[in-house]
Amino acid sequence: MKRRDFLKFIGIGGVGAGAGFVLGKVSKPPGAKLIPYLIPPEDIVPGVATWYASACTQCGAGCGTLVRVMEGRAKKIEGNPAHPVNRGGLCAMGQSSVQALYNPDRITKPLKRKGPRGSGDYTEITWDEALKTLAENLTELKSKGNSDKLHLLTSPLSGTLDKLVREFVSAFGSTNYSHYGLFQRKNLAFANLSAMGTASVPHYDIENTKYLLSFGADFSSTWVSPVNYSNGYGKMRQGAGERGKLVQVEPRLSLTGANADEWVPAKPGTEALLALAIANTIVEKGLAKDGGAWRGVLSRYKAKDVASICDVSVERIEAIAVEFAHTRPSLAIAGDSVSSYENGIAGAIAVNILNQVAGNIGVTVIPNGDDLGGGRRVDFSKKISTLIAAANADKVKALIVYGANPVFTTPKAAKLEDALSKVPFIASFSSFMDETTAQADLILPAHTSLEDWGDDFPDPGVGAPVASIIQPAVGPVFETKSLGDIFIELAKAVGGNAAGKITAPNFAEYLKSSWKELYSRNREMAAGTLGFEDFWNKTLQNGGWWGPPRKRTATVSARASEHLTGGPARFEGEEGQYPFYLIPYAQTAYMDGRGANLPWLQELPDPMTSVVWGTWVEINPKTAEKLGLKEGDMVNVESPFGKISAPVYLYPGIRPDTVAVPIGQGHSHYGRYAKGRGANPIEILPYNEDPRSGEAALNSTRVRITRGGSGERMVKMEGSTKELGRGIVQTVSTSEFKRMKKEGV
Amino acid sequence: MSGFFERIAGKLKSYREPGYYTKLDHKWTMVIDLDKCNGCEACVVSCYAENNLPVVGKEECEKSRAFSWLRIERYVEGEYPDVKVKFIPVMCQHCMKAPCETGCPVYATYHNQDGLNVQVYNRCVGTFTCATYCTYDVRRFNWFTYKWPKPLEAQLNPDVSVREMGVMEKCTFCIQRIRAAKDKAKDEGKDVQDGDIKPACSQSCPTGAIYFGDLQDPNSVVAKLAKSPRRYRLLEELNADPSVIYLKRVMGDGNSSHE
Repeated sequence: MKRRDFLKFIGIGGVGAGAGFVLGKVSKPPGAKLIPYLIPPEDIVPGVATWYASACTQCGAGCGTLVRVMEGRAKKIEGNPAHPVNRGGLCAMGQSSVQALYNPDRITKPLKRKGPRGSGDYTEITWDEALKTLAENLTELKSKGNSDKLHLLTSPLSGTLDKLVREFVSAFGSTNYSHYGLFQRKNLAFANLSAMGTASVPHYDIENTKYLLSFGADFSSTWVSPVNYSNGYGKMRQGAGERGKLVQVEPRLSLTGANADEWVPAKPGTEALLALAIANTIVEKGLAKDGGAWRGVLSRYKAKDVASICDVSVERIEAIAVEFAHTRPSLAIAGDSVSSYENGIAGAIAVNILNQVAGNIGVTVIPNGDDLGGGRRVDFSKKISTLIAAANADKVKALIVYGANPVFTTPKAAKLEDALSKVPFIASFSSFMDETTAQADLILPAHTSLEDWGDDFPDPGVGAPVASIIQPAVGPVFETKSLGDIFIELAKAVGGNAAGKITAPNFAEYLKSSWKELYSRNREMAAGTLGFEDFWNKTLQNGGWWGPPRKRTATVSARASEHLTGGPARFEGEEGQYPFYLIPYAQTAYMDGRGANLPWLQELPDPMTSVVWGTWVEINPKTAEKLGLKEGDMVNVESPFGKISAPVYLYPGIRPDTVAVPIGQGHSHYGRYAKGRGANPIEILPYNEDPRSGEAALNSTRVRITRGGSGERMVKMEGSTKELGRGIVQTVSTSEFKRMKKEGV
Repeated sequence: MSGFFERIAGKLKSYREPGYYTKLDHKWTMVIDLDKCNGCEACVVSCYAENNLPVVGKEECEKSRAFSWLRIERYVEGEYPDVKVKFIPVMCQHCMKAPCETGCPVYATYHNQDGLNVQVYNRCVGTFTCATYCTYDVRRFNWFTYKWPKPLEAQLNPDVSVREMGVMEKCTFCIQRIRAAKDKAKDEGKDVQDGDIKPACSQSCPTGAIYFGDLQDPNSVVAKLAKSPRRYRLLEELNADPSVIYLKRVMGDGNSSHE
């Protein structure tokens, strides 16, 4: 670097970062001036914070955020109090996105592979060269008539970015653009499509629910839209009305289960039967709001027949049914305890029927409508198995990956890595060296969401149309590019149809014109604005646009009962050899593994076990005693498909015939904080993909536990799990609380 | 005119009035509703981000040297299947009769006019006395000078000083936010209004379980909540007079469907 360049760089780095975005237009960073503070950029006052309204992309929930920026650097991310999804709150993962932005292990420049695949041996190249290489590869594909052999695999993108990628792919002549994620909840979407006609998770009005029956939905930590649900939960417990009750059905007590008034540890895989037995009891007892149509189907699921299969007593099933039907309004949520099995669709439909019978649909279950037309599209025909099969049949000549990390999140049994080795050209747009990116031949690192433009149409919605805007809060920290810009530049470089179709100069302009179109279609948006520019400025200021709640209802279609399976879910591994059910679960901090590279999240004690920086195996103390295991002992968790090792954590909140392992650790790449730490339970799962929805069942194998194996020891932050009579967390009983409320004290 | 002078004179002599030294400008108080708290730990990360808490790594965590100013304690009662789990966020309780303040030989920790238990990093010589005296185990010691690898340090909050080896630290109730709100109110010629100040934990809490405000203001949310029959304070029998008020968790009795 020449001295002159160095000085320029200092100028840009110190000031330009983040300051360069005049409303509505990406301008050149003002740091291009070498004496920046003489004429300071408009939104930088030393010592005074600037706040940008944006949206979080750490998971799919789409919470609105406010990013605090000082001197061009992002300092803190807070929930946007005005945003209808999160109403000011923001979860641990969302807060940590600043550490993703400033991660020391980000890919700072485009890279080209030098050594063999997976060796991590890359050379840095310029953006021009990178785009040229990629375009050449694609043009070659096209000239040979192999356009359809280009595959794109991304995380579930929504809104304008999704639209742009779709346009690019179809203009290029390929049909292979798929979304992939471990927690895409495709079973839920499929079940809701067949039951209620919309392929998405409906809005659950937890706030106004008085009896919440959750089938393993860990909505306090990771399930679908945790901040939105938690907000509702707080109001359900201590809001204006009567205190709502929470009953959790799951084999392993999750964070949400830990807050429940009652825990129903039904046998894994039988929860759907339990839901149907509850529904049947409601119908039989004449408590159903809408029972007639379901009497026939449900009569096969009598509480007395199902009780022993589920390991829940008849009395308890009946009591839950009566309370569920009598307490108005009630709500049943189909979480992982019904939807993560091999018959997950049946489970989710069973819960739909239960809600229908109790008269909750349209009351606490508000079906989604894609009011603004930008929601996440679920395409059930796009499966990871299709990609694997295509790759094995030499039908994938080029693969572009962004946001998804299938090498980490698909079981070894799916043999994805073998398939990828047959793909001659893999490009990744990831800014992190995750396991999939490590297989790439060319890496074009995209911005993180704090540096990029975008929008999000939260799905599940919140019963109201919501469109959030994502705007750059800071300038690029490294030599990365906006994801949208990569596609636009690629379209130009590839030429032909793609160049003709995508004419916007950059993604910021593309986004704006897409919103202009949205604005012209939507009369509600137009109300109270002086035209589009005014609306756009307000949108950037508020972090998006949202309308008033929409009342919607649906009737669960009787045909949905076709998908019911009648029996408990199947598990791989014979019971005699593999005596324990394995529950791999999404952990608060790491989710599907994406949080493992952020130091705050690694050091965040797990809410249930207080373990930090590692993986553990949750075993019931009684089971451990039988196996002669103590806390911290290393064990092998072995399924018919493989073996991992991790230390034991004695957890009374788990069935004695079940063990649980958190997902998220066990990375072989992904930066200094994640690499080589803990174990990945997904590795030992079978590959049980539902042919209808394309979702692979997580809870679908039995395992055996043997002492031994190697790995890091367990570090937990807690001392004792007992209060030892100190009255630390004091409680009042429900009846006492009712008395307090009545007396108005 | 004479009234004006009297007022000035009165102000000058106010130190002679009884109770002057115990009277507070504000009494910042936190109320935590344990029936809302679901233990998600969003507040913990928020605190790390706001207050420049270092991450110490696995080995140091094992020695109980993690920096969490705010932690969620989790207690488990009973055996399978009758397991009851309870959560409680614990941070510096800003005791009005703080044991830590009596021990410090250099007055690094003292009580200020806002009712806060404050820690002056520049005075602290690291005797560890306060941490030993603390009833709630909320004080954290800098055993080393912790550095973030570049460019993670760009995230550090310039409103909060970065501590060095040998210094004790703890929750400040986000004093930088209190200061900022007071400065702003002063510039506008008003008093701080209820709701102007939200510590990081309270701001991020998804369930809205953490309330913050001035207990001396009878109309504040915390003053109203502090009268709740569910109110209690942590280890109250020790008489440290903490400024954090918890509202008891409501826990199911009479589980209609439970044997």
